[in-house]
Amino acid sequence: MTRYILRRVALSLVTLYLLATMVFIIVNVLPDDPGRRIAGPFAPQEIVDSLNERLGVNDPLLDQYARLLRNVVTFDFGESFKFGQPVKEVMLPALGRSAKLVVLGFVLTVPISIAAGIFAARRRNSFADRSVVTLGLASSSIPEFVSGVTLQFVIGVQLGWLPVLALAPSDAGLIGELRYLLLPALALVAVYFGYIARITRAGTIMALDSDYTRTAVMKGLSGRRVLTRHVMRNALQPTVAVIGTQIGYLFSGLIGLELIFNYPGLGSLLVNAASDKDFPLLTAGVILVGVIYMLTTLTADLIIAWMNPRSRLAGDRA
Amino acid sequence: MDWKRFDRARRSVGPIELDLIESYAQGKISRRTFLHRGAIVGLSAPFLATILAACGSDEPGGQTDGQTGGGTPRKGGTIKVANQKPVSTDPVAMQDLPGYGIVAQCFEFLATLGPDGDIAPGLAESWEPNDDGSVWTFQLRQGVKWQDGSDFTSADVAATMDRLAEAGNSGLQGVLEKGGVDASDPAVAVFNLTGPNGNLPYLVSLYNAQTPITPVDYETGTTLQDSPNGTGPWILDQFDANTGCTFSRNPDYWGEAPLLDAQEMTFFDDPGTMITAIQGGQADAIVQFPAIAGAALLNDPNFTVLDVQAATHQQVWMRCDTGQFADPRVRQALAMTFDREGMVQTLFNGRGVIGNDHVIAPFFPYFDDSVPQRTKDDEGARQLLSAAGFADGLKATLQAVKFQEIPDFAALIQAGARAAGFELELAVEPVDTFYGTQWCPPKPADPPCSGAAELGIVNYGHRPTPDVYLNAALSTGGVWNSSQYSSSEFDAAFKGFQSSIGVEEQTVAAGQLETILNEDVPVGVAYFYNYLAGHSSKLTGVQVSALGQMYVDKAGFTE
Repeated sequence: MTRYILRRVALSLVTLYLLATMVFIIVNVLPDDPGRRIAGPFAPQEIVDSLNERLGVNDPLLDQYARLLRNVVTFDFGESFKFGQPVKEVMLPALGRSAKLVVLGFVLTVPISIAAGIFAARRRNSFADRSVVTLGLASSSIPEFVSGVTLQFVIGVQLGWLPVLALAPSDAGLIGELRYLLLPALALVAVYFGYIARITRAGTIMALDSDYTRTAVMKGLSGRRVLTRHVMRNALQPTVAVIGTQIGYLFSGLIGLELIFNYPGLGSLLVNAASDKDFPLLTAGVILVGVIYMLTTLTADLIIAWMNPRSRLAGDRA
Repeated sequence: MDWKRFDRARRSVGPIELDLIESYAQGKISRRTFLHRGAIVGLSAPFLATILAACGSDEPGGQTDGQTGGGTPRKGGTIKVANQKPVSTDPVAMQDLPGYGIVAQCFEFLATLGPDGDIAPGLAESWEPNDDGSVWTFQLRQGVKWQDGSDFTSADVAATMDRLAEAGNSGLQGVLEKGGVDASDPAVAVFNLTGPNGNLPYLVSLYNAQTPITPVDYETGTTLQDSPNGTGPWILDQFDANTGCTFSRNPDYWGEAPLLDAQEMTFFDDPGTMITAIQGGQADAIVQFPAIAGAALLNDPNFTVLDVQAATHQQVWMRCDTGQFADPRVRQALAMTFDREGMVQTLFNGRGVIGNDHVIAPFFPYFDDSVPQRTKDDEGARQLLSAAGFADGLKATLQAVKFQEIPDFAALIQAGARAAGFELELAVEPVDTFYGTQWCPPKPADPPCSGAAELGIVNYGHRPTPDVYLNAALSTGGVWNSSQYSSSEFDAAFKGFQSSIGVEEQTVAAGQLETILNEDVPVGVAYFYNYLAGHSSKLTGVQVSALGQMYVDKAGFTE
């Protein structure tokens, strides 16, 4: 297992290096004058020149590349062009906000979806099974920003049960924050319920039809024991893999929901950084999202390896 | 007419004020215009009331556009204000309405917003011009302190004006040069202008939004959050460019202390979400909203609409120096495709008036209505295009900013111009990136704004006089001249307008400007629309300027 983990971590670091190199190339293809961008249109040229000098944009490309790699290691990307603050200070609050929304969304989605998937698989082709599949398909076909607007209008505006904006006041406390985040999180549930439930259902059906399940039943194990020890352990591996990649995506991919609920998360921050050509912020954001992807997929792989020793051994042999 | 009172009053004033008083007495200008112009030239409210009474009008004060009354406000509470995300809060360099609204909470102007929507004494208690309007003397308010405890003096005014002159301020460029303010008396600021100017108080008021007075040692490029040391009723406590800012009451404010304890301003990317925030009870007031997206608010009994007739408009700029629009016939042709009445109806539910491709709004007292109105004429437009060498039509990209109704306006232009042979592609960008890339990018810096796109739409907030529009957007070398319009005839007419003092003289000068702009069409102006803002009906005393500034220092909750 240790060897497996070390191999996966090493692979992640290589991926991170390649990602940093790609970001460097892309950023340097785009023409801009960061000094002017910071100092503003009316600042004298000498101030702009000295800013550019300080930012190192006139340095040789190799020096800039080496600096970027150093920055990746220390996660210190200097100052944001737009905000004039250290990148960390701008990015970490946005990361925290995105994390809260994604975690709440998945805390609500995963148990419901897995339960529904297993429930449907055990009643294959019944009315209940078809209901879960159809409901899931319908809800996941609606983009999260559409379900978000609907929830906002019905639950927030018409019924007045929940806040229509997602950002809680600073003194709201944990329960208060959860209350503010509930509507966008429910929009995420609507999208991911169908997706995760269907994958779980398919995996469970395969596991239920397998030889090892039949053997377990014939050995006289109880239904509950068969389900938890043999079926779920195998059936949930694709589900875990999907959740791992989706969490990474959601950190930067919820721009629509962030806009509707006026929730300044990582997605809108990165989109604005790209359009503002705020390269330090953009570079740090892309690297950060890359790291999140790697961590979540690595975690998913480790969980799968724990659930299924065969995949761990296969990884060791590879 | 009470001749005795009238004569006594007119003997006490200079020639500029006298011209105004006689214009009113002879019925040449309306009562509203008289009050409006009186505020500009520094006539006090009691003096204006004396003239009105002498002339037989003793009605109470002017209209109450842009402010709310009703109900007795209680002390305390926090107001939650919805504002669009600002681009900049540097008082000298800011160019966006959301930024104006934030800075105006802490920093104050020599002339501020009066209860009738006109200007009123702010950091200056009074002002008066010399005989030809080339020197203006501002008596400064005494006992005003910066939030760091130091005294406000004329040195602060002179330093602020120097910074603005150096930066080429949109309203003061060509009017006031660096070193033009004499600050030898700490209580008096004397503005020595480059020539006569009848509208100077407006150019140092909230309607020239970059002119709030900042401390003598303030540096250009410093934002409000970097140095929140103002004289205003609010102290900036916290600022996050992504989420919003909070203000608390300034306990040492020179004026009447605000009733509210604090204000929380939330920043939004999308006007639609601002409206939802009001509907969901998460915002008490909204700084501005578009009529169509905000239709639900217009009919909401729990919401008070502040509907201000304003010179707020969108300019469709067309590059006059290069590219496909360099031929004036092409610009005229595009302007001829505008269905102006339809646009006002579609975009504003009729809450606006049509424009005639110049920036003198029809409700300005010196508007010359004899200039023929351009109307939609697709066939005429096609002929003009053909004569300009575009018989097979013309393809161009129309750049637009995602602000208020502009994307819809762009779509209407695109659809309306098709029949005349224009094939326009729309490129809509957020506020964050549009300014400084499509409109007036910093480079090339000379002439200013020469890096602007060939064709685009930019928004202009309300100004009670058109000087900023005429100076910054249309004069040769103007800092916001995105069409790169350069006309010696126009420049001379603008000089004439600036130096004309009486309303009659100004009407003649305005007529010349209207004619020139309507003929040359450096910018298409399809309409002037009412500025819409509002608040929960639980509030009273909120006032808006129609230039992104919402004043809540006299506001309070009634429940």
